[in-house]
Amino acid sequence: MTKATVIIGMGNPLLSDDGVGSVVARAVAQRLTRRTNLSVIELHTGGIRLMEAMVGFQRALVVDAMVSGAPPGTVHRFDPRSFVTTKNTFSSHDTDFATACTLGRMAGLALPEQVAFWGIEGREFELFGERLSDEVAAAVPGCVALMVGQIGAWEGMV
Amino acid sequence: MARIIIDPITRLEGHGRIDIFLDEQGKVENSYFQIPELRGFEQFCMGRMAEEMPVITNRICGVCPEAHHLAATKALDALFGAEPTAVAKKLREILYMAFFVTDHTTHFYALGGPDFIVGPDAPASERNILGVVRKVGVEIAGDIIACRKRNQGIIAFLGGKSVHPVAGVPGGWSRVITAEERVQIEDTARKNIDFARFSLSLFEKLVMNNPLYRELITSDLYLHRTYSMGTVDGATQANFYDGMIRVVDPEGGEFALYPPAEYREHIAERVEAWSYLKYPYLKKVGWRGFTDGIDSGVYCATPLSRLNVSEGLATPLAQAEYERLYESFGCRKVTAHRYAPIHHRLATHWARLIELLYASERMLELAQDREITSPETRTIPERALFVGEGIGSVEAPRGTLTHHYKTDERGVLTMVNMIVGTTNNYAPISMSIKRAAEKLITCGAPDEAILNRVEMAFRLYDPCLSCATHFLPGKMPLTVSIRDSQGALLREMGRNR
Repeated sequence: MTKATVIIGMGNPLLSDDGVGSVVARAVAQRLTRRTNLSVIELHTGGIRLMEAMVGFQRALVVDAMVSGAPPGTVHRFDPRSFVTTKNTFSSHDTDFATACTLGRMAGLALPEQVAFWGIEGREFELFGERLSDEVAAAVPGCVALMVGQIGAWEGMV
Repeated sequence: MARIIIDPITRLEGHGRIDIFLDEQGKVENSYFQIPELRGFEQFCMGRMAEEMPVITNRICGVCPEAHHLAATKALDALFGAEPTAVAKKLREILYMAFFVTDHTTHFYALGGPDFIVGPDAPASERNILGVVRKVGVEIAGDIIACRKRNQGIIAFLGGKSVHPVAGVPGGWSRVITAEERVQIEDTARKNIDFARFSLSLFEKLVMNNPLYRELITSDLYLHRTYSMGTVDGATQANFYDGMIRVVDPEGGEFALYPPAEYREHIAERVEAWSYLKYPYLKKVGWRGFTDGIDSGVYCATPLSRLNVSEGLATPLAQAEYERLYESFGCRKVTAHRYAPIHHRLATHWARLIELLYASERMLELAQDREITSPETRTIPERALFVGEGIGSVEAPRGTLTHHYKTDERGVLTMVNMIVGTTNNYAPISMSIKRAAEKLITCGAPDEAILNRVEMAFRLYDPCLSCATHFLPGKMPLTVSIRDSQGALLREMGRNR
């Protein structure tokens, strides 16, 4: 049976704050371990691959690092309709997420009806390491709670 | 000319950047191509066990984890003195062909193709993969997605994980495949061949049969006579997974043929004060600046370069396409099987499609070998054969990829060095941008169509900035700035905008 909800953590877990998407996605999965209709995917690149990762799910939650000039640790929430790209949702080798979704629909793929994005403002993206900046690490529990809340709101449970 | 100042903001924003400086007459004085450098990779690896490298390095880049995974695994084969079994080599190469098919397909339809299929002067909003679908027909959307899906499926079961493969181990491959999986690979390869042939026919129909595009591709706008590099097998024919590194000079003479482990005797790196990049060049020719010709050590490592160094291709359909490419450019034969190199850089798009066909046919060859379902996928390393240093190399889609590790006697890393595919091409990319800009921008601030033609010089290399690219919301990872003789900004545009 197709799992209903997918959580996609984007970014490179070895590149300091770029790894925050993976950290959050794993934490959400840990909070909801008893759920059987939940999948977690860690993804490095966006564009077409991000769209493909959502195929067959009814709902998708994407979490990624971000660089918008806001203070590190700021959590942004985006709706796909007003979508501004986060750090890894665009692929410089193919296209942006919105274009990828249009392509997917042209190809007849079943894409989720409900999609939400979270972007966590990072500080360090050019240093290899598995440690998040303090402000970014501090933002993780809040983002996890928001995403768990969203799943609950969508499914009317949790 | 205005003095060049490298704005520290470049580093903070972290996206690739091209600066073009104009003189007082509005002609191009100079141009600079920049991408940020990531820090601390070597320190990150030091003190770890060498066998972690195939899963660490496949995280360097989300676009070609398969290339890093295999280069790292091959470096470990050498480091542990464990020659992989024949079955292991074949399984690795199958995974790699599936990856090449996916990568080359995506580049052609999403990035390189739109300039020709939709048109170089089309508005940026239409010059993308959706424009290609509108032009070619809606079925192509499904075909592209299906091609990616079937090959990603092979990569997932063969690599042991869906995105970042984990099956590479020193001396072999940790995944054994079943008879059913072999059939699935064979079926995938056949579909890939059909799709590659269709893509080549599309290129011929929409690009080469269009006089305007043919003229653009064969003009001297995107022409550089550099050395070419690629990996060749025992028959001196292109192979993406394994072989010797061959370099041919701009006229087509063999300049060097060496095992990847000897790369340091052949490749040196030039440091320029204005850039974080290191520019590799042929040590035995020497650095003469950003210039082409037989006296300049600048070399190119791209799909076109790989064909330039190869004595034809080992599979029949790709061989026929290879001949068509060189005949079409009027190249004479320099050996019984090889033509004089093509230096028109836009032909790289054509070469990439020929490689797509070769990878598909090679995948079929490997899939038809019944031995691949054998469980003999591993040579267990022996203490007595431990070397403590290893160099591994593959042809990444964007150029020759080399990993080099040293360890102490326990196998703990003490040195890590890499030359990634795109790095080989830093000097050629810079030169191509400059040449196109010089030829096209002759009287001040250019319009978008002109700038797109400058960008095409960059895009044909498909440089991999993704592992080194960060950008602000809404911004593309490449900014092109045009400045006047006083350094004032005349125009700035983002990639695909």
